[in-house]
Amino acid sequence: MQLTKTRKKREKVDVVANAIVIFFAVLNLFPLYWLFTSSLKNSSDVIKMPPDWWPATITFSNYVEVFQSQPALRWTFNSLFVAGVSTVLVVAVSAMAAYAFSKLRFTGKNVLFIIFISSMMVPKEVMIVPLFRISQDLGLVNNLFGMIWPNVATAFGVFLLKGFFDSAPDALREASRIDGAGEVRTFLQIMLPIVKPGIGALFILNFVQVWNDYLWQLVIGQDKEMKTLMVGIATLMQDLNPNFAYKMAGATVAAIPMLLIFLLFQKYFTRGISIGAVKE
Amino acid sequence: MKLRQQQRRENLTGYLFILPQFLLFLLFIVYPILEGIRLSLYRVDYQNETFVGLDNYITLFQDPVFFKSIVNTVIFVVFIVILTVGFALFVASAVFDKNAKYVSFIRGSYYIPVMVSMVVMSMVWSFLLNPANGLISYFAREMDFSTVNLLGNKTTVMPVIIFVTFATNVGQAIILYIAAMIGVPKDLFEAAEVDGASRKDLIFKILIPLVKPTTIYILIINIIAVLKIFVVIQLLTGGGPNNASVTMMYYLYNNAFKYNQIGIASAVGVIMFIITLMLSVPQLRAMFKDK
Repeated sequence: MQLTKTRKKREKVDVVANAIVIFFAVLNLFPLYWLFTSSLKNSSDVIKMPPDWWPATITFSNYVEVFQSQPALRWTFNSLFVAGVSTVLVVAVSAMAAYAFSKLRFTGKNVLFIIFISSMMVPKEVMIVPLFRISQDLGLVNNLFGMIWPNVATAFGVFLLKGFFDSAPDALREASRIDGAGEVRTFLQIMLPIVKPGIGALFILNFVQVWNDYLWQLVIGQDKEMKTLMVGIATLMQDLNPNFAYKMAGATVAAIPMLLIFLLFQKYFTRGISIGAVKE
Repeated sequence: MKLRQQQRRENLTGYLFILPQFLLFLLFIVYPILEGIRLSLYRVDYQNETFVGLDNYITLFQDPVFFKSIVNTVIFVVFIVILTVGFALFVASAVFDKNAKYVSFIRGSYYIPVMVSMVVMSMVWSFLLNPANGLISYFAREMDFSTVNLLGNKTTVMPVIIFVTFATNVGQAIILYIAAMIGVPKDLFEAAEVDGASRKDLIFKILIPLVKPTTIYILIINIIAVLKIFVVIQLLTGGGPNNASVTMMYYLYNNAFKYNQIGIASAVGVIMFIITLMLSVPQLRAMFKDK
């Protein structure tokens, strides 16, 4: 590529801007660096001033303590269960609805779709009082399913997957119907495989969202054993134990699963998150 | 006759496909909204409910703490959203036309705090800002700042929370902007470059106007997200010092689950519901125009 005069000038502004961007990118990761290194220090080094930028002696005792003094393993299981089951249900329920809204013809379709989508922007937190009372009536308080159902009700998945079904060719569906396959078989065997990328994006987005959900899980999981990882770990902040390294070890345990998911599935995130935005 | 039968069958198939979603929608969204509106008109003492009309709303607007929570929530929304959109535009416009590896490094660095969640980030910040042995407090002391306990001071607590929330969540807006900017057709830039436009011109006159739909989307999702700001308040300040950082969601939570003021808490929920609904109208309109 030829470097024209304008191109050279452009690089200058650009270099400064990118230098700033990189500086803040690194700075933005510093709290996580501090979290992780602090979790490896012993209880006196962690509050030493001036601080050790890298632990003088590395110890894993804080992690041992998190898992011994707290039911952290149980919390991790609860989080995995709640996020996993919610996500499977979200994918199933919203794939069905999205398919119907995209490909089937029925009376009232557009009105129903608009009503669904309108609910998407309202966070369940603002309805937390009635939602909690309903959960009480249904015996869902202190119950992992109480954390699951309200998440499955959200319409985001319908919105996301409908876009994917819309771009799937009608011809395939019609061919399958002419071959004598019923609607259910057409849906499961022909249409679902086509929207796999959408399902992938929804799966990850929803899993992370439920995993990091806090307030609803806080009010539903009341016994110590019924807390999820985020809620349980947050209680370490109020723990009488003054050792900050121990609290940071807990926070690291809560952070690691999501870090792994992000590093493994970065591509899906970018796509999934961007789908919500309106295209010109 | 046969046609009508077929239409009826098509209708039935459609309804069966949306049935599971629809039932959940009724039970966990529609019913709670209606029940919330009803509860906001009652005084609730355990099993007894007494109709009190708009009393809960009147009580609310006479409560200086509720008033403070509205003011704080508005301050959070305005500052956090402006910072987020401004900074995300800056980052995305600087990196969007660079090579893919670099773009994904930048995207990752800013998005990782979003991933590890507000809970984890609040815990780290709470440690960093801890007056006795936090790193930031240490530097504040070394540099002879007048306040060392930034979260315990009425004037510094709001800016600190604004910064922490912004820094943790800006990654989402950056990802959205980068995706939108990569989607802008290259020939538009080339044409402008031939005409001698500087990079600044390209960004302000072409790029930013073209990603306006993304800006609207980012504005709305961030306004709604900040409106229900809770975790950072609970973990960093508990609404303090002396209610200096109390927010609407935190106020709602305390009334519902600490003071057992079900009617009052429901009224706060109804007010927040109406605000979010109004805020989402432009986004919904854009989405339906899209079709």
